[in-house]
Amino acid sequence: MSDLPDDYDMQDNSEVVQQEEDQEQPAQRQSNAKSRGSIYDTLDDDGDEDDEDEDDEEDEEAGREGGRKRAKHRHRRHTVNRFLDVEAEVDTEEDEEEEEDEADGDEFIAEVGGEGDEDDVNRRAAVNARLDRRERELNDQDLAKIAQNLHERYGRAAVRYTGDMNEVPQRLLMPSVHDASLWQVRVKPGRERDIVFSLMRKAIDLEYSAQPLSILSAFQRDSLPGMIYVEARSAQQVNQACKGLVGVYPSRGIALVPIEEMASLLQIKKQDLTVTPGSWVRIKRGKYQGDLAQVMDITENGEDVGLKFIPRIDLNPRDDANVDGRKRKKAGASLTTMRPPQRFFNYEEVVKVYGRKQVSKRNQVYVFQNDTYKDGFIEKDFKLNALQLENVNPTLDEITKFSRGQDGADNENPVDLSIIAEASRKAAIAVLQPGDHVEVFEGEQSGVYGVVDSINQDVVTVTAIGVDIDGQKVDVPARSVRKRFKPGDHVKVMTGQNADETGLVISVTDNVVTFLSDMSMQEVSVFSKDLREAAEVGSGTNVVGNYELHDLVQLDLQTVGVVFKTERDSFRVLDQNGQVRLVQPHQISMRRNSDRAIATDSEGHELRVQDNVKEIDGESRKGRVLHIHQSFFAFLHNRDILENGGVFVTRCRSLASLAPKGNLVKPGMDLGKMNPTAAGGAQGGMVGSGAMGRGPRDRDIGATITVIKGNLKGYIGIIKDINGTLARVELNTGNKVITIDKEKLYRRLPDGTLQPLSAPIHPKGQQRSMGPPPAVASRTPNPYGGGRTPGWGGGRTPNPYASGDGKTPAWNASSRTPNPYADGGKTPAWNASSRTPNPYAGDGGRTPAWNASSRTPNPYSEWGGWGSASPARPADSSWSSWNAPTPAAAATPGFLSAPTPAAYTGAPTPAGIMNDPGSMSAPTPGVSGNDEDYDFGLVLRDPLIANKKVMVEIRGSSDAGWHDGDLEFKKGYVSSAFASLSEITALFHPLDSPGGTSIHVPTIYLTPIQPEEAQDHALVLRGSHKGDHVVLRDSAGPGVWMVSKFQDPVEFTIDEESLVKLYHV
Amino acid sequence: MATIPPQAKSKQLRACLLCSIIQHPMDFRKIGCPNCEELMQMKGSPDRISACTTTYFDGIISVIDAEASWVARWQRTSKYVRGMYAVRVKGRIPEDVEAELESRGIKYRPRDQSDQD
Repeated sequence: MSDLPDDYDMQDNSEVVQQEEDQEQPAQRQSNAKSRGSIYDTLDDDGDEDDEDEDDEEDEEAGREGGRKRAKHRHRRHTVNRFLDVEAEVDTEEDEEEEEDEADGDEFIAEVGGEGDEDDVNRRAAVNARLDRRERELNDQDLAKIAQNLHERYGRAAVRYTGDMNEVPQRLLMPSVHDASLWQVRVKPGRERDIVFSLMRKAIDLEYSAQPLSILSAFQRDSLPGMIYVEARSAQQVNQACKGLVGVYPSRGIALVPIEEMASLLQIKKQDLTVTPGSWVRIKRGKYQGDLAQVMDITENGEDVGLKFIPRIDLNPRDDANVDGRKRKKAGASLTTMRPPQRFFNYEEVVKVYGRKQVSKRNQVYVFQNDTYKDGFIEKDFKLNALQLENVNPTLDEITKFSRGQDGADNENPVDLSIIAEASRKAAIAVLQPGDHVEVFEGEQSGVYGVVDSINQDVVTVTAIGVDIDGQKVDVPARSVRKRFKPGDHVKVMTGQNADETGLVISVTDNVVTFLSDMSMQEVSVFSKDLREAAEVGSGTNVVGNYELHDLVQLDLQTVGVVFKTERDSFRVLDQNGQVRLVQPHQISMRRNSDRAIATDSEGHELRVQDNVKEIDGESRKGRVLHIHQSFFAFLHNRDILENGGVFVTRCRSLASLAPKGNLVKPGMDLGKMNPTAAGGAQGGMVGSGAMGRGPRDRDIGATITVIKGNLKGYIGIIKDINGTLARVELNTGNKVITIDKEKLYRRLPDGTLQPLSAPIHPKGQQRSMGPPPAVASRTPNPYGGGRTPGWGGGRTPNPYASGDGKTPAWNASSRTPNPYADGGKTPAWNASSRTPNPYAGDGGRTPAWNASSRTPNPYSEWGGWGSASPARPADSSWSSWNAPTPAAAATPGFLSAPTPAAYTGAPTPAGIMNDPGSMSAPTPGVSGNDEDYDFGLVLRDPLIANKKVMVEIRGSSDAGWHDGDLEFKKGYVSSAFASLSEITALFHPLDSPGGTSIHVPTIYLTPIQPEEAQDHALVLRGSHKGDHVVLRDSAGPGVWMVSKFQDPVEFTIDEESLVKLYHV
Repeated sequence: MATIPPQAKSKQLRACLLCSIIQHPMDFRKIGCPNCEELMQMKGSPDRISACTTTYFDGIISVIDAEASWVARWQRTSKYVRGMYAVRVKGRIPEDVEAELESRGIKYRPRDQSDQD
């Protein structure tokens, strides 16, 4: 047997079986439920297949109606059964027939298997014909049944709907004690919906399990976040239901809802957000977020709202975006960049940017990028939940913009305020306060006005004023009342963009009040609800965030500006380029401080903040300097200038001070006074001298004066202050302070002589340098004599080591120790203190240089070998110890001194103590009788020469009567020289009393001793070898020596005149 | 038994304006409203679906045992199939349906809780 015919027969046979089965059905229908079911299944399946034609996805759909699913399943079994013998076992009644069929089939197959005769053909035709007939009958039957079935199904549904449910009043549905309770369950906020759905699915899943859920329902309300309500007989059932669900917190308690509150949970009604055409809404999201829009129409189901608003078309799109209008890039770009400003749709502009193809026109409507534009507005549908319906609060500005329309020209009806008024009415109730003057503008009491007495919810009690019900209290709905203002009232804006503005009411139109702002002197229109009567004159708040009016703020790296107007949450800033910007506080990177900024004005004078200046060119505006930026821009303020709040920016170079500069004594800034040289050393001006703080003071302050003119002539006083040409003088008599012209004052010197204030002080020997109060200084000669070291004024060096005349580190350094501490123990300051870091200093005067053996290389001393005695040993001089000659010099006779560090060499050797101040006025070296063609004193002071122990002879002292000439022709050596104001003295060590007395000798009496023979050590005083320590090698002719540097074989010649013999042991 | 939408979060979920059942719009298209399809005729008709259902509803009830539940009774859904229902549905049924209801003498109760008696 071949497979194919067999298959065919099998199919054929089963067809026959079915047909026969069908034939029997009308009779069997009532009794045989199963057969009936299979018929229905067939019908039903037909329907299903139709569905499948419509939608292929159906098979994937979950949760289809159970019955149908089962039906389909059975049907499939049925079709399969055609090929299976098992079918026979299912229905016993059909067994017989099937057996017959089987027999027939066998026979048929056998026949086919044998030979194909005509009988076979005929029989087939007959069978086919019968099949067709049966099929037609079946179809007829089917149609009827479909109709019947449909009727049965949906007729029943309609009946169900017409049931009494709708007729029962809600109150009769209130819960009774027999009903299950509601339980409140805490859930994770935001998961309420999911959990309600999960409960439903869980209930279905467990429906036929051993433990089905016993809850009846569960629900959630959007207005009650974080909780769901489960209807069940007990909390335990709720617990069971919630077990295993994520986001449910039964542990936080399952609370029973009281029976009287059950209904209200389902009655919670959100504020009914009705949208009516013409009302205002705001757009919640997207490019137009926050924009005001007007409702044009609403779809029937209230979901979509047609809006009209001002478009924001990007007229500067990225290049790549507009070339071919690719949306890909545009979408990305538009999100990141700033949104374009509100602008009415202008066909020409848009075409220019985007090209003609992008915009099409239909009737009066333009279509651009799938949006329609009409009259400049964009008209677009929005979902209701993408709109903000409450608290829209359209501002006058926005409304005006809307009504102005595309062309910018005012329409005939400029503002239809009734719409906003309606919108803002609700808010108006909130701003009413007892004591407000109100008027009733609608309803029965319309026209009544009075004072608000009390407010109770939406009802306002008004004490009426005027007319016939004067004094009576009237209750009116708050929405019918508006604040009442009359021209002339002084008002303050409470809320909105103009908050805190105050002004005088000019006019009142309905609920729009126009007032003249106190601050800007401009007319401002606001709703009366935003106003209060107020006496105060507000300048508005000057502080927004951390910034306030007239602050200098940094806007970006290049730009700074000055805040000239603060608004509610923004500033108007004038930047250094003169441009006005509106900035938010967050756009300001920092506030800058220009308090210490200085610039120069057109005259080269310094210009500072707060100076009053005027422009020398341009508009010649005057103003006070608010800020200076980079010493170039000056921000000025002048109240008289209306523009930009009186703030303007100009260049410092074009400004001139308004104050007379002659009188301007700028404290602390006169560099000339800070320069001690320029000040002639008269003023203690060194850092740390203590006089620094008084540096800026006029030098005449503190001077003792005598009045030489006027009615106070002859009075003596002290100058306390000087201001320009005027001096404030405290008179010694009567303790009186007068202000007097400086011209009338003469300085009174200690000796009672007078001299003009302007006269120089020093030639008269004033010891100004001694200290701050010159008068005192002049009277009390300072034993330290600091003042007598010229150019080294005592006031200049606070150094304690220098307290003794000779104890300057410099010349202690002649011991070749650069360490100033290494000085001998004669400086109490450091001896006393233990803070000196120098470890060598511990043993007082012994400097390491000297202590070191002569044979030990010493870092401090290149000629260590020369040192043989402690320099620290105080010279047993007759001079006081602190004034003793430098120990180094004294103890190291003939020592060829090493060069001292330059810094110190400037420090002269202290001059001897001159007990007699008069000696100070001794002739200066310049006028001395010394007929040397150069000043030997100055040579000794030369850093290269100083402290080298050159040999000298005293000459000419007898002529001058100095020491009565006793010391004339004494030979010795000079260890150091000091310059005082008037003369140069040198510390002279006589040769005939080695280690003995050393005295200070004015250098005018000193003459250098020239070396006489070879091997003498000498110092070069002049020329290129100046300061060199040389050894005479040989005579190179009359007056010329062949010399070589000490410890240096290179020889050279030098003039005898230029040499001075060096002292050595 | 109604089809339970697979995702609770779906913003597309729609509630029938008449019986307040919540389904995915796809289910409305395939099988219509399980309670009031006879009146609404939503099956296979997206236009009817958008007219007779809405996304604007508040509160979701899972009705597990419709007959016994007080919540379902209060919502007047106890005779309806089990499924998800909305507490409050904004909007009214189309006028033709309303007229049909009237002709049958059925009182129409909008589900927006506007008229509670």
